[in-house]
Amino acid sequence: MSPISFSASERMVTDLGRKIELCSYSGFKIYPGHGKKVVKTDGRVFQFINGKSEASHFMKRNPRNINWTVLYRRKHKKGLMEETAKKRTRRTTKFQRAITGATLNDILAKRNQKPEVRKAQREQAIRAAKEKTKVKDAQKKAVRTATQKSAPKQKSAKNVQAKAPRVGGKR
Amino acid sequence: MFKLFQMTQATMIIRQTSELVPLMSALHSRTFRTSCCLHELRKMARVKIVDNSVLGRDSLLKGRQPRIIQVYNGPQLGRLGDKVLVSVCGEKKKGYIVGCVQKQKANVPRFDTNNVVLVEDTGLPTGTRIRVPIPSCLRGKEGDFTKILSIATKFV
Repeated sequence: MSPISFSASERMVTDLGRKIELCSYSGFKIYPGHGKKVVKTDGRVFQFINGKSEASHFMKRNPRNINWTVLYRRKHKKGLMEETAKKRTRRTTKFQRAITGATLNDILAKRNQKPEVRKAQREQAIRAAKEKTKVKDAQKKAVRTATQKSAPKQKSAKNVQAKAPRVGGKR
Repeated sequence: MFKLFQMTQATMIIRQTSELVPLMSALHSRTFRTSCCLHELRKMARVKIVDNSVLGRDSLLKGRQPRIIQVYNGPQLGRLGDKVLVSVCGEKKKGYIVGCVQKQKANVPRFDTNNVVLVEDTGLPTGTRIRVPIPSCLRGKEGDFTKILSIATKFV
């Protein structure tokens, strides 16, 4: 199969293989034999298609403010924007995964539970909890009554001991 | 141009002879020509050494800029790729011109400084690296540039 071939212009190369450069100021294509190339002291290289671009550059005019340059047109969105296809928004597909706590089937089962079933489960859980608290309260009561009978004096002695000096000085 | 005008005013006052009238009128009407700044590389032209040789670095630190003292060329006019003798820090050293401020032909880049790469008498470059962009048109030039181009990092 022959590979997809782009036109020479798209590859920014002439038919003879010479490179077509872009004007650093105006953005136009510079074919071989045209324009000027300047190397500044800091090593930056600039290509200019003509004296107009060169002069504008050295006058320190910002190409983004100069109407005829490509940079201006891009900035102000002039020209055929229909050519540039709209960026396709990526839709993330939701994908249910199994977690270490529950397999996929478990998750699906839980999700697909009917509301009546769920309600019944809740009520059961509430009842169980209530039973538990009842038992706990009964146990506590029994313990309390037992201790009260055995040592009421010990309680007052404990209170006196609590008033020890505080370590660390004044707050 | 202003000084010239002042001078012409003085000459007009002092010398008002008939022979000079056409000359004065010519001066007055600005029909004489002056050549613009040519940036030619001749003897005594100040130059920048762009390789990483010790001499090159020293020349930047010291006050005196390296100067061309001889151009190995018929017309004694240095162009891109010409061999020159440069005086650096009191020493005489050979070098090649690798960048001109002068207006160049098409497809040849113009530099903001006159760049020179130092070379030993054997022809080997003194430095080991050239960080400044080197014009690729030197590849086709007469003279042994292969060693200089091999130590160059960026081409233009």
